[in-house]
Amino acid sequence: MGIEEIKKVAEILLQYVPATLKLFGATLLFSIPLGMIVALLRKCKIKPIEWLVSFYILIMRGTPLMLQVIAIYYAIPFVQTSDSLEKMPGFLQTLIGLVDIRDAGYMFNAVCVAFTLNYAAYFAEIFRGGIEAISKGQYEAAACLGFTKTQTFFRIILPQVIKRIVPASSNEVITLIKDTSLANIIAYEEIILKAKQQMQLYSSLVPLFIAGIFYLISTIVLTTLFSFIEKKLDYYK
Amino acid sequence: MRKKLWKTAAVIMAASAMLLTACGGAGENASSQNAESQGDTSSDTATNGESGEDLSLQKVKDAGKFVLGLDATFKPMGYTDENNEIVGFDIDLAEAVCEKLGVELVKEPINWDTKEQDLSVGKIDCIWNGLSVSPSREETFNLSEPYMKNAMVFVVPESSDINSTSDLAGKKVIVQNGSTAQDILTESELAANMEITSIATNIEALQQMDINLVDAVFMDEVVAQYEIKNSDKAYRILDEGLAEEEYAIAFRKEDQALRDEVQKILSELKADGTVEEISTKWFGSDITTIE
Repeated sequence: MGIEEIKKVAEILLQYVPATLKLFGATLLFSIPLGMIVALLRKCKIKPIEWLVSFYILIMRGTPLMLQVIAIYYAIPFVQTSDSLEKMPGFLQTLIGLVDIRDAGYMFNAVCVAFTLNYAAYFAEIFRGGIEAISKGQYEAAACLGFTKTQTFFRIILPQVIKRIVPASSNEVITLIKDTSLANIIAYEEIILKAKQQMQLYSSLVPLFIAGIFYLISTIVLTTLFSFIEKKLDYYK
Repeated sequence: MRKKLWKTAAVIMAASAMLLTACGGAGENASSQNAESQGDTSSDTATNGESGEDLSLQKVKDAGKFVLGLDATFKPMGYTDENNEIVGFDIDLAEAVCEKLGVELVKEPINWDTKEQDLSVGKIDCIWNGLSVSPSREETFNLSEPYMKNAMVFVVPESSDINSTSDLAGKKVIVQNGSTAQDILTESELAANMEITSIATNIEALQQMDINLVDAVFMDEVVAQYEIKNSDKAYRILDEGLAEEEYAIAFRKEDQALRDEVQKILSELKADGTVEEISTKWFGSDITTIE
């Protein structure tokens, strides 16, 4: 491939950077809060809730993300076309009927839900590890000083937890930017899907390498950002 | 004290539940204008089964759109060009059909591995991308009359010492995953003597051969010819192919009216010379089998 062709491919791929970043951003935005909730529920004293949450984490971590994307993407259209729709309660029928699978937004929403559910499970385990790493003595000391349990959690435990989970989370975030390419299994138009189409056109692997540069740059940005955050949080040392 | 913690958790949960619905909501809002027609479509599907009335053609005309599913990487049938436009022989032909039908052609890229699902759930109206006819596809889809002949051939490097299919014994052969080439090769008598691997696309398959990972690629002759003509690589096609096969357009089983209409228009286009014009543009002559 000549320079001119490489330029052309790069231009096309650049148009799909927003699509990749949109999925990346939306997944982070929803999965981190959801992960926190899951982590707290996982530590819940009511056994059935704990079991349910553990089961959710097992499924999300135990099956490929690619499969989860396919399952969520096709779930609604399958129900729409199957006979089981009529057996469902009325409000569910209307709700499912409202979804237009040919709408451009549907594909993004389905991918976003799949990624959020998957990443929330991983984040939950990171957060749980962070919470459990805090020694019992700190809770006892806080109780002696007259802190309520809420105060103890938000003022003493949480700041330390955040410090501890940053390195593990940065790992997860960097994996996420590359995992967005899995969305092309349902032909979500992101940078790798476009690179693959251009590969066919030029009968060359070069477009894929151009896409690789994008991921490399994103990872450099994220790594810098996280080392900055780690430095900021590196007080009391 | 415990209660307070739970209250906080509950608030966070409610908030993120709202966020989640907001995430799903965007599409629902956008589609609310379509909600009515969507509702109609689903009830149509229901009545379709009960009364036996086929509304598939009417549905396409009402929507003003004919959604063509393709994987957009099948050169020269349907692929993405340097300007990120989906073009190809199939696309030109489909444009001509849609013009006669009085609807707009929507080119919807799909993943070839999940094409059956995309068609059956109604994301697309047809699969039109050099789809080879096979017994299992005749079972799954409502296929049009074949519009082009295609043979399955072995492609080897120019310098290879493989000259006939018997030379392939003990060699590594690669095919596109999920293609009819894969079915044909694995079911053939040759399969026992060779090592067969598969990969997502024909181009990747050829590249594996370029770097000597495999000895031959088994693929569609139409694509192979086009690749040899348009790339600077030295490939050779073995004289002995395996199966003659044909390309057709796939519709949903129940969409008989739509299939018949497209078939009728194709015959008209053949009669008025449009098919010949399009075929000459892509292949140098009229190689279609439309009657």
